[in-house]
Amino acid sequence: MAQHNLGTVIRFEVVRTLSKRRFWVATLLVPVLLIVVFLLVFLSNTATDETEGAQKDAQFSFDYTDASGLVEPAMVKRLGGKEISDPAAGIAAVKDATVAAFFLYPKDPATDTIKVYGVDKGLFANGQYASVAESILQQSALAKVNAPQLTGIIQGNITIDTTTFKDGAVAGGMNAVIPAMLFVVIFYVVILLLGGQMLNSTLEEKENRVTEMILTTIRPTSLILGKVISLFIIGIVQMLVFAVPVVLAHVFFRNQLSLPDLDLSALVFDPQTMIVGTLVLIGGFALFTTTLVALGAAMPTAKDAGPVFGAMMLLIFIPFYIISLIISDPGAVIVQIFSYFPYSAPITALLRNAFGTLPLWQAIIIIVMLFGISAVVLRIAVKIFQYGSIEYSRKVNLRDVFHRRATP
Amino acid sequence: MDFGPTTVIKELSFDVARGETFGFLGSNGSGKTTTIRALLGIYQPTSGILHIDGRPFRPAKGDRLGYLPEERGLYKKESVIDVMTYFGTLKGLGRQQAKSWSLKFLQRVDLADKEKARLDKLSGGQQQKIQLGVTIMNDPELLILDEPTKGFDPVNRRLVMQIIDETKKAGATVMMVTHQMEEVERLCDRVILLKDGVSRAYGTVREVQESFGGTIIHVDHDGAVPASASYTIAHDQGGHATLEIDPVTDPARVLQELVAAGLVVRAFTPQRKSLDEIFLEVYGDEAARAE
Repeated sequence: MAQHNLGTVIRFEVVRTLSKRRFWVATLLVPVLLIVVFLLVFLSNTATDETEGAQKDAQFSFDYTDASGLVEPAMVKRLGGKEISDPAAGIAAVKDATVAAFFLYPKDPATDTIKVYGVDKGLFANGQYASVAESILQQSALAKVNAPQLTGIIQGNITIDTTTFKDGAVAGGMNAVIPAMLFVVIFYVVILLLGGQMLNSTLEEKENRVTEMILTTIRPTSLILGKVISLFIIGIVQMLVFAVPVVLAHVFFRNQLSLPDLDLSALVFDPQTMIVGTLVLIGGFALFTTTLVALGAAMPTAKDAGPVFGAMMLLIFIPFYIISLIISDPGAVIVQIFSYFPYSAPITALLRNAFGTLPLWQAIIIIVMLFGISAVVLRIAVKIFQYGSIEYSRKVNLRDVFHRRATP
Repeated sequence: MDFGPTTVIKELSFDVARGETFGFLGSNGSGKTTTIRALLGIYQPTSGILHIDGRPFRPAKGDRLGYLPEERGLYKKESVIDVMTYFGTLKGLGRQQAKSWSLKFLQRVDLADKEKARLDKLSGGQQQKIQLGVTIMNDPELLILDEPTKGFDPVNRRLVMQIIDETKKAGATVMMVTHQMEEVERLCDRVILLKDGVSRAYGTVREVQESFGGTIIHVDHDGAVPASASYTIAHDQGGHATLEIDPVTDPARVLQELVAAGLVVRAFTPQRKSLDEIFLEVYGDEAARAE
């Protein structure tokens, strides 16, 4: 009967959530926003490309003086420039708008500033003067090297392949970090989107006065467990919905959207990292879900639960304030505290796991801790619901609940 | 049953026989709902337990229990049929079975067109009908109803009582909390009367009536009613007298005495105290104190 009821609760909770227009509006809002952002990036990239091209090909009249002797006069002539000897005359010509710009190259451009004067064309268009002045000097310097190999190196046309070793085997590097960081993203998205629903899942029984009907029909453990599992299923559905536009964008519009040319085949899925990531994710999800469900059972309304809910949400962001320590000094006291404090542990552990600074023994302790505390909190949630949710209009007295005393 | 330092229900014990309708009576705050919640495990009782057929009751262990709580409520944002099917399935029916039972019930209570309506779009009375349906849909062996007719108009009250009666005839044992004393007299086989968490009367309706002062006899007559040890004359004026007799005195003997004393008796009507009168007698002192 209990198993039958667990399935019934899961089905009811999942179906009614997925059949709500409100759920789909909230869920589809994220991919829609992603599409809008992608579209803006696409349009912006197109405009930037066009601007860059225009600046590169910019043609305008200019004068220059060259104290360094590095500038190639032939190149400048091709660009429409003319060398003069008096800087003051050059500046005056710009002031009169006789020429569009005047460049003053100092004796040592490596240490002294190149001065550029131009007729104002607006904040963004003015950038072309400096671009052309810099380009002239760079091209002139490259021409003096007169060796294609050296020219290529100076221009940065080189490729580097770094191989690092961990425990005698080739380490994954960034290709191993990316898959493990997905767990962090999933945790954030699921908790942020489903947090409210977790909180409301037991509040609903109280607010609708269904508690007595439910408690005489089904074991509270089956009800609470059913709600937790259904939230997990709903979270998976949401992740799938979010993933669709990202995958479509990556497959079909990667170049247009300037997405990183990610070679998926190069990603390293280290079994230990992935298993630890999965278990910490599930353990963290279970802990937050059971805690929020317990909170919902204890509080009369969502408004009353607000402050505690806010504090819990804060705890999943706090580890990011020490992310540099998490990466560079995982042994730091603050990192250790965040790693073992249950409500900051999931994000801290997932970040350390992704960056390879979470030893297996610590991972095991954290995973056991998360699952253990989740089980305890689940028991507490059940007890609060069983003996406390009848308190329709006031906060549950936890002392009464834990001493199994009746409350009127 | 204690709430912190306060004892609310004191050593209360009673049996409800299979197939009977049992009235659970008392004023507001006398401990009726608390007793039921404690029996069902909703409150953790200080001591005591509900046995059904000699077995301790635990929710969802296959006991066919129907409970209509005083605090009414269902999942208000869901459709009528979804909620009924959900509860039916939780109570052990198959999904299809629960759905078809629900549709029949909706027809029975004139809500067939509300099948797909959200519960919060229904009136209070309509929601209560749905809740009654949810309560009885698993063909309960024990039906506990906390003020089942609260909030119903007379027409719907009659309909609800008919449905409860049908459930009883189908074999259910009914335990009913109500303030409608006429319903109790009409429907209940036995009752218990609670005051301050203590049983003040327990037995059949007649036994309770007799335990609260026996019978009143209205006599229309010529002449004066003679004094007697068999009765007390509460009133005698204008050819109409009211006599009070104790529970063990037979009214027929009183009639014989009156006639033997030469009184011309035109009408002789023995009448037990109504539960309403008994209720007022028990709780009247509280009302007086409140005033």
